[in-house]
Amino acid sequence: MKQAIYGLVLYIFLMLPPVVTLAESVMAIHMHMQMPLFVVAGFLMAPFFQKRFPNFFAKWNSNGVPGIILFMIIVLYWLLPRTMDEALTIPAVEIFKFISLPFLAGIPLRDSWKKLGSLGKNIIYVSLSVLFGVMAWLYIASPTQLCNNYLIVEQKTLGWGFVFLALAIMIYFIQTLFIDKSEYE
Amino acid sequence: MINNKHNRLAMIVVLMFGAILLFVGTDGFKAFTVEKARINKLMEENPVFPEVTIEDSKERVYPFSAFEGKYVMLTFIYTACTDVCPELEMNLYEVYRSIPEKYIGEDIVFLSISFDPTRDNPATLEKYRQYFNSDGETWRMARIPNQTELDNLLNEFGVIVIPDQNGHFQHNSAFYLVDPNGILVEVMDYTEVEAAADKVTSILTTEVGE
Repeated sequence: MKQAIYGLVLYIFLMLPPVVTLAESVMAIHMHMQMPLFVVAGFLMAPFFQKRFPNFFAKWNSNGVPGIILFMIIVLYWLLPRTMDEALTIPAVEIFKFISLPFLAGIPLRDSWKKLGSLGKNIIYVSLSVLFGVMAWLYIASPTQLCNNYLIVEQKTLGWGFVFLALAIMIYFIQTLFIDKSEYE
Repeated sequence: MINNKHNRLAMIVVLMFGAILLFVGTDGFKAFTVEKARINKLMEENPVFPEVTIEDSKERVYPFSAFEGKYVMLTFIYTACTDVCPELEMNLYEVYRSIPEKYIGEDIVFLSISFDPTRDNPATLEKYRQYFNSDGETWRMARIPNQTELDNLLNEFGVIVIPDQNGHFQHNSAFYLVDPNGILVEVMDYTEVEAAADKVTSILTTEVGE
């Protein structure tokens, strides 16, 4: 339960107006820090909801597939250049960001991850790194400004962030194929 | 196997939610960036150029309606800009050169409007226009001294201008074509010089005649 409280504290902290302004002033921080931290906040808060509504998760997400698909949809949505721009200019989109990332991505991810078999996990590793690779290419190679609120140079920085993210996930995935974790437990 | 049924139902609901979310979020998969959405919307709405008073590099002051009866090819710039605006103006020059000469000045006027009226006074604009071979007549550079009028125009035409701390602006760029009645008819990608020139020429040929 302690975790859920930490998650809640993190969630509230991220929504404080000065924190929001600071996090959104730099494109790479907006995409690579603020958004993932919202997912982390939801991830930490998940046990509270799992204990509160055990039946709901058992009934509707017994094999983890619906939850992980929901997670991927929300991630995909927030990767679009347009949504990032609109989060800055349209309050409703900003509020949707605050709700969707923790509750529709963070919580389902945690609930689904344990239920997924290794095949499911591998599919997620590969598709996330491919997706981030494509985003890296898009943000680095685009000759025009994709977001009206951010400069091209920031866009390229963001793209390189995606390169590292994609590589990190790929490396982690490859090591899971060779290293048997149970030997070290 | 009851669980399986629920799972499948949950999956369908999630996928439907995702499809709707992405459909709505991109105007039916037509606009993945705000800029594209803005241009699509502008072309649908066709806003009218609001009544503003402009002051050009020759210190002439006149209302925008002075261009009535002519097409006006517009860009929005500020002269202290070091990245996008020079490229925008270079490309505008290319378009200017590509359009048959008989239309220039007669049926179409080029106008670069500064959104930084405090610094871009006529003297600055006069210097700036020479960098791009603008003649100051058929291609004018001007400012809108009244901030309210300027903001109103930027708002109508969806030009986003955000000042930063270093005296620079974050802004979006495009070519705008206003018809002889002052109605915005085309918003064109400023990086596609040839496409823009072809479009403007074809509009002039059909509307004005050979």
